Amino acid sequence: MSSDDELAERLRAGDETALRAAYDRHGAAVLYLAQRLLGNRADAEDVTQVTFVAAWTGRDGFDPQRGSMLGWLLGIARRKAVDRLRSAAREDRVTETVRAQLAPSEEAETPEKVVDRLVVADELSRLPEEQRRTLELAFFDDLTHPQIAAVTGLPLGTVKSHIRRGMANLRRRWEVDGAAFGSRSAGATRAL
Amino acid sequence: MRHLDPDRLVLLALSEEQQEWSESDHLRQCAACRHEMGALRDVADIGSQVQDLRDLPPPPEHLWRAIEADAGLRPQPVTPVAPVIELTAPRRARPRWLVPVLSAAAAAVVAVAGTIAVGRFADRAPAERVTARATLAPLAAVPATAGGDVRVLADGKVRIDVRNLPLTTGFHEVWLIDPDDTTKMVALGNLPARDDAVLPVPPGTDLNLYRLVDVSDEPHDGDATHSGRSLLRGTLTY
Repeated sequence: MSSDDELAERLRAGDETALRAAYDRHGAAVLYLAQRLLGNRADAEDVTQVTFVAAWTGRDGFDPQRGSMLGWLLGIARRKAVDRLRSAAREDRVTETVRAQLAPSEEAETPEKVVDRLVVADELSRLPEEQRRTLELAFFDDLTHPQIAAVTGLPLGTVKSHIRRGMANLRRRWEVDGAAFGSRSAGATRAL
Repeated sequence: MRHLDPDRLVLLALSEEQQEWSESDHLRQCAACRHEMGALRDVADIGSQVQDLRDLPPPPEHLWRAIEADAGLRPQPVTPVAPVIELTAPRRARPRWLVPVLSAAAAAVVAVAGTIAVGRFADRAPAERVTARATLAPLAAVPATAGGDVRVLADGKVRIDVRNLPLTTGFHEVWLIDPDDTTKMVALGNLPARDDAVLPVPPGTDLNLYRLVDVSDEPHDGDATHSGRSLLRGTLTY
């Protein structure tokens, strides 16, 4: 799998297939975020479209040192979604509607929380197979370390180190992208 | 002051074990461990909510066409994104400890020299960088005209072209197999009805190890493991 660094390099070099690769890899997440923020599919598709067009024209602005490509794209998408809500508010002069749109059903669903989930899901999918599998069993199936060892046939010590390293990887990514996104201060990650 | 053991912090963050009195005491006094614990709890909390996000439906192709037009790009050949993404769900759901033992016949490795694919590939998007290739040859019971070509692309996907596969009442599935231990294999996905497909290689798959590409005939029997009926095989070369 090509890294963000390589994709960034191709993007900056003006390689059009790199934008397609970014769309294939992250288009679903961008559309998901836009839909959560805007509450309707048509606007979400529009925002996804302008996000990728902006990513192409602003491709020199992506710095893999500062965050992942997904984090960068989600940052653009959030700004575009907020712009859209603001211009809708100007047109309607009904800010109440916008406020309602910003929090469609659950009060606490902030853009940052949606982004947190999307970057963690992305990082989880990039973990080495066994690390990912043990974490999925812990997170989704709520299994304990000994249960995971029994189910996978891995030694308990291996399960422990997979979970510890896997969580450290997720945390690093979450902190880096969170910092790039402005939702979190970039605290130094102490090695686990 | 002795900090809490990192493994122990993980167990506590996952609420798998209860805090001992001495640990609670330490956490009250030690900002560093408290910070660690808080971050791990946050990660565990977010992690437990991402199950539905792993297989988001791919965005529609018309959206990409609009982006392409707006950004002034040259239209690129359409890659079959939708079937690829749908396929990841069953593959992930398959526990790796159920990996099948292939029948002895199917396990007999057919050595095929990798060749450089030419012809049909030549007019494809030139920017696609190929990191490995294989030529697929038919196994003994398969018509000799059947065959195919495999290219591993730099973006971690595999492009596979096949021709003259025998008709099936089921479907054709693509696998990567470790020829040194043919019980070890990774399912890449199904071939769509047309003759070529782009399938993602699961992250972390070692292609030096899983270098035997296998196309099998799979019945619709709900059994996600290899049927043992291999049609084509070829070894990746670099």
